[in-house]
Amino acid sequence: MTAYWVLMRMSRQLHGMKKITWRQSVVAVAFLVSLSLAIFFVVRAVRPMIYWHYHQDEPIRGWMTLGYVAHSYHVPPHVLHQALGLPDQPDRRPLREIAKAQNRSIEEIRNLLLEAIVQARRPYPASPSPPINPGASP
Amino acid sequence: MSLTDQLLEAVLLYGLPVLFGVILIASVGVPFPISLTLVAAGSFVKQGEMKLVPVIIAASIAAILGDQIGYGLSRWGGRSLVDRITRRLGGAAKIRRAEAVSKKWGGPGIFFSRWLVTALGPWLNFTSGMARYPWRRFIVWDAPGQVLWVVLYVTLGYVFSDRVQYIAEILGNLGWAILALMVATIFGWKLIRYFRPGGSVA
Repeated sequence: MTAYWVLMRMSRQLHGMKKITWRQSVVAVAFLVSLSLAIFFVVRAVRPMIYWHYHQDEPIRGWMTLGYVAHSYHVPPHVLHQALGLPDQPDRRPLREIAKAQNRSIEEIRNLLLEAIVQARRPYPASPSPPINPGASP
Repeated sequence: MSLTDQLLEAVLLYGLPVLFGVILIASVGVPFPISLTLVAAGSFVKQGEMKLVPVIIAASIAAILGDQIGYGLSRWGGRSLVDRITRRLGGAAKIRRAEAVSKKWGGPGIFFSRWLVTALGPWLNFTSGMARYPWRRFIVWDAPGQVLWVVLYVTLGYVFSDRVQYIAEILGNLGWAILALMVATIFGWKLIRYFRPGGSVA
């Protein structure tokens, strides 16, 4: 609104009341630049909010622990421990350390974890025991 | 392997001493991704990896101490250099005017740059020291701002503990947006004054 008002004022000025000085045009340019920067950063701040609304997960990074990934993705930690073949006890190492210890790349670790997360999140997770089927009883 | 990853890994592995060191160094002016570190610390508290009160105390002390170092360096190192230059080349009057402006407006600037527009923090430490802003007043504006910053960011990390990276990204961009809006307001106000009928043309 303010910008519009100022521009209207300026255009009226341009149509010949007072001559615009060099200093005034510098201020006008500075105003427009700072306003566009403000808009740019507002957009950049809002974008992650929208992203986060539609895709709830944040990317898995090397600094994260298995506990953090489990927390962020809302899956039980033992699922992730299992995926990497680790014993089911708290592991405070960041993923990068685990990757180094297992001679894997961080991408490999990330893929294994994502796979396990997808499995764990299935609406009807595969049960470990064979399904009970009353119709097939001998 | 980014700096952010390394910092957060170190905080996770070694805890408070690293958090303290990272915030101290960043407050002096080294551009570490410190917002993310602090928000992540809030998340680590939520997950039981760190404890809330020690995190807040350590981070606050580190931030305040770092600011004093930045202030002190410019006041007792940078300022004597400036004095030597002005003695040779002149311009002392301009420096005195900058000092006056800093004394008049510096306080709120120091306070808001601690937690709202954090990117400006180290700069204001240096300008305050350079302008010989009274040290006690500097601490009075600095300390509450820093504590507010730490509590705010750690709380956000605690509440949104499963999306630390997004929170830090949003906070960082909002800080810059506020700064740009403030600058735009100042220039816009100047423009309005120029073009108001009968306004000054200075």
